[in-house]
Amino acid sequence: MYDDDNYDDGFDEEALARRMRLGLWKKLFSYTQPYRRVLVMLGFFATLTALMDVSFPLITRGVIDAVDAHGAAANLWPYAAAYIACTTVLSLSVGCFIWAGGKIRTHIGHDIRRDGFENLQRLSFSFYDHRPVGWLMARMTSDSERLANILAWAFLDIVWGVTLMLGIAIAMLVMNVKLALLALAVIPFLGWVSARFQKRMLRSAREVRRTNSRITGTYNESIMGVLTSKAFVRESENLNDFKQLTGKMYDASVQNMIQAAVYVPIIVTLASLAAGLTLAVGGFDLLHGAISVGTLVAFMAYARNFFDPIEQLGRWFAEMQMAQASAERIISLIDAVPAIRDSDDVIEATQVQLNRPTRQSIGEDGGSARIERIELKDVCFDYGNGRPVLDHVNLTASAGETIAIVGATGGGKSTLVNVICRFYEPTRGAVLIDGIDYRKRGLHWLQSNLGIVLQNAHVFSGSILENIRYGRLEASDEEVFAAARLAGAHEFVTELADGYKTEVGEGGSRLSAGQRQLVSFARAILADPQILVMDEATSSVDTDTEQRIQRGMANVLDGRISFVIAHRLSTIRNATRIAVIEHGRIIELGSHAELIALRGHYFDLYRQQSLHEATRELTDFNPRLA
Amino acid sequence: MAHAKHDNLWAVTSGQRSRYLGAMLAMAIANLCMFGAPLIAKYAIDVVVAKDVTLGTPMLVGPSQWLEQVFASQNAFAWYLLLSAALAIAVTGVGGIFQYVRGRWSAIASEAIVRRLRETLYRHLHDLRAGYYDDADTGDLVQRCSSDVETLRVFLSSDVVEIGRSILLVLTVTPILFWLDPTLAWWSLCLIPFIGLFAYIFFHKVQQVFQVTDEAEAAMTGVLQENLTGIRVVRAFARQDYEIAKFAEKNRIHRDLNNRLITLMGRYWGTADFFSLMQVGLVLAFGAQAIIEGRISVGTLFAFLTYEGMVIWPVRQLGRVLTDSGKAVVSLGRTNEILNQAEETLEPTPSRGRADGDVRIEHLTFGYDAARPVIKDFSLHVRAGETVAFVGAPGSGKSTLIRLLLRLYPYSQGSIKLDGQEVSDVNRHWLRHQIGVVLQDPFLYSRSIAANLKVGRPDAPDAHLEQACADAAIHESILELPGAYETLVGERGVTLSGGQRQRLALARALLKDPPVLVLDDSLSAVDTGTEGLILNALRARRGRHTTLIIAHRLSSVVEADRIVVLEAGRAVQVGSHAELSTVDGPYRHLCQIQGSLDAEIRVDVSRAGS
Repeated sequence: MYDDDNYDDGFDEEALARRMRLGLWKKLFSYTQPYRRVLVMLGFFATLTALMDVSFPLITRGVIDAVDAHGAAANLWPYAAAYIACTTVLSLSVGCFIWAGGKIRTHIGHDIRRDGFENLQRLSFSFYDHRPVGWLMARMTSDSERLANILAWAFLDIVWGVTLMLGIAIAMLVMNVKLALLALAVIPFLGWVSARFQKRMLRSAREVRRTNSRITGTYNESIMGVLTSKAFVRESENLNDFKQLTGKMYDASVQNMIQAAVYVPIIVTLASLAAGLTLAVGGFDLLHGAISVGTLVAFMAYARNFFDPIEQLGRWFAEMQMAQASAERIISLIDAVPAIRDSDDVIEATQVQLNRPTRQSIGEDGGSARIERIELKDVCFDYGNGRPVLDHVNLTASAGETIAIVGATGGGKSTLVNVICRFYEPTRGAVLIDGIDYRKRGLHWLQSNLGIVLQNAHVFSGSILENIRYGRLEASDEEVFAAARLAGAHEFVTELADGYKTEVGEGGSRLSAGQRQLVSFARAILADPQILVMDEATSSVDTDTEQRIQRGMANVLDGRISFVIAHRLSTIRNATRIAVIEHGRIIELGSHAELIALRGHYFDLYRQQSLHEATRELTDFNPRLA
Repeated sequence: MAHAKHDNLWAVTSGQRSRYLGAMLAMAIANLCMFGAPLIAKYAIDVVVAKDVTLGTPMLVGPSQWLEQVFASQNAFAWYLLLSAALAIAVTGVGGIFQYVRGRWSAIASEAIVRRLRETLYRHLHDLRAGYYDDADTGDLVQRCSSDVETLRVFLSSDVVEIGRSILLVLTVTPILFWLDPTLAWWSLCLIPFIGLFAYIFFHKVQQVFQVTDEAEAAMTGVLQENLTGIRVVRAFARQDYEIAKFAEKNRIHRDLNNRLITLMGRYWGTADFFSLMQVGLVLAFGAQAIIEGRISVGTLFAFLTYEGMVIWPVRQLGRVLTDSGKAVVSLGRTNEILNQAEETLEPTPSRGRADGDVRIEHLTFGYDAARPVIKDFSLHVRAGETVAFVGAPGSGKSTLIRLLLRLYPYSQGSIKLDGQEVSDVNRHWLRHQIGVVLQDPFLYSRSIAANLKVGRPDAPDAHLEQACADAAIHESILELPGAYETLVGERGVTLSGGQRQRLALARALLKDPPVLVLDDSLSAVDTGTEGLILNALRARRGRHTTLIIAHRLSSVVEADRIVVLEAGRAVQVGSHAELSTVDGPYRHLCQIQGSLDAEIRVDVSRAGS
């Protein structure tokens, strides 16, 4: 679904594939630690298989020589017994190494994904700012599988291949040094050809994979944006763009397959060169009685058997080099340290608290469970590019208060809220909860006391009931309905064919934007948070519905601290205090009446919204509205 | 538009069959060459063992005796061996060339077929009725277009060839074996059918496990995707532990199923190897017997053993390949399910170029589900150049009206006319060219901003582009982005806020300069100051377009020539702000909410002023 091709994530595939980085593989290999016994078994069965593979030509040789020498008097029973024994051992060890390799592969893939996922849940929002979902998905799915595959099957094939080649070399050398050296002389060429081709084939295979993921991405886009494409009559233009991709895909795939079509015959011909040399020279030796006919047959079989492992080893080495970028990426994900995390003291306090009896007044981090006051002291923040988004912000909110945040787009309203929720930490200054810097409190404790409604309300696929219940997993159906009523969602939900059981589709696609906002509003209410954050939470809801929500909210907000970002002044007016933000600074702060009296920015903003102002040019003032 | 039907695998290969045939022929020749080398070696061994050149193949005996004389040497055997080796290598080389030809042709044939299939699917996805997407699952559709096509590709490029190769191998090797020695030939073939059958049965049975495993993987990926796209919600509710537990469960199931599958495979390959090796063992045992009886030579046994090795591995694979072919049939069925869905109809384009923008809706009734109409007996006439605003609660049918006007859904009751032309009887491309729409949830392509803006008018000059952006109050924001108008947006590019996306979509529609401009709740995420700027710009454009606005803020609505209040699919009030705000009804109620506010504002303002 995602290609890293056009995305600069700081990992240069070419540079990373240039040489083997053993340190990296050692690190990844530590994932096999819990399965060391299985790994030893895998190595053992791989070796055993290779030894059996070496034995078969020897048995054949024995049979032929015995028959050749003794004719009808030859005793073939020992060979038959040996053959059956070898066959049995080989079959069993093949079954066993597949089992062992499979166990390692699936478990390591599982472990990598587990560690990655758990870390993803810890990592701060700043990590996500630079990494699209597709990038993360690629790490967690294809990359983890790829590395697990390498760790299991490359290990197997390397052990098997090296043992087999050594075994064959030894067997040949023991039988006849001259013939052995002759047959082995082809090996360097084979290795060279293999290495060259495997690398090229992997490179073109990568091109295929990339183009393929772009094709998939384009399909995805064409489906997501189908209405827009139809409305703007983009059908033929889109198809033309797509045809370029399929053309590229065609070229890359055909190139990859043609490389294979050249490579395999070359390897086979080289192998026949070895067999041919053995036949000519060995035949001559046989003629002069220097070797037996069985030895010649065994040699010719060995000459053929050599090439499987070489091909495999060549492929794995190339694959390992190519996969180094994947490895670096996934390690970067697993090892990434969350920019925002509990301090050691907090972790310790949480541990201590875990063993104590739970008391309502004590939070899970050992501090007070209640939040009475939030205080922003001289808070500065930037996204790391030096451009201040928040500039010396001071703000206090106590339980029961509603703070409205207003200002133009890009002024820093959402950032301010994100800092309050500790999704980002101030780069200067501090956020105090009841006088204590929130960095000295538990992250989980704070965030489990939050209820947040965002403008672009994300709902999960599943039913409406499940989505609202996400706010408090143990809530009863009645509680869910009550929250929905308060959020003004109950009416539209009950009108749906399946009511609360209605499936909302991927990302809530079956609901309108306003409906999604109402559902996520209900979700936040159900969470019963001490701090409620509403970031343009009702922007897609009509005024009438919004008013009803407002009335319901009066009870909900009681005793909580709430922050409201909104454009509609009707939402804002009733706030305890209103903060006007511009260029990261609070330029005005006070109650509605105070700010109006100030005749500053808020006053202008407020006047702008007046229906009276908007209609003055069109109609005379309508006395009935007065 | 008619598409080639791909109902079965045979139909898919149309246009590339001769190339496939050529590939098969090349493969047959390559096979024959492969069989040559062991035969040559057999004769060489026989010659050497019996120390009798005349036992060799006449093809080589003659030249070697001739060479012996030419070089006046005493050794015809040496010449025979050398010639044999050279010939064996040459034959393999020639076989290699044909193998290459086979690979090349089958690659071209299969990739060309798949390319066509991909493009057909893509075009079809654009031409499907919009209603199809209501119930469709994006992930599933994408999977059909990607993994199912990939299954077909693998089938066409390697499985077809593999099946052909195995069959050809068995067919060509059998006569050679029987020619060499009939009795031993029987022994060397006796287990092969059973191995093939065993492989087929195994893979057939295990297919279900494959499917379950695939589903488990899809479930795991689904949880992952949901979690990552909703990560802000996860954090907002501190649900990390819940999510970790959910993912751990899917991850574990996926692992265990995969593990089970591999264990089954291990059993299979172990068993298959055992029988394959036993088959080789039978040849060895009965071959030795035959040598003892003097029926065959050592060279013949060598040839038998080599041939056995060539045939038995492909046969062992055949079961897997045949099952994969079964999968290919399933995949083809899944892609066909998309291709067989009805496309939008394509009516003739009216001779007139640009429409005036007169929209007349009469007695329109429509429901996505016929039993639950969303629009009920709705009538409205919007004159060219007029601005009409729609207000109403979520679900009252505002967006549906827009979709019907764009002919994204077919209606059967009532009529919608653009310039007197019934919307359902007119070419849909022409119709949509006349309408510039900003959808509620604006979609941006993952391209540059400029490319996104030019979607409705690819040849727009830069001056118009910037003017449209200025009107949509987004020009300044674009210039602040790192690449200005060339900045990439979407998945790989910068993330835009909801307000920015809405304004970009608005600029896109304005740039198109259409007769009919439609704004579906397009300013909801824009702050009031910016909204004022945009409304001013729209006011300046008045009369240029027929404008339909859906909005919740009264500030966006009051200036409209007429306002339509929708309630449960009916127009309950139609009139100008001045008219509607004086009569009792839902609009006045809305005004009162705003109006009481308005009054307070005046009080506040005047108080502040005094």
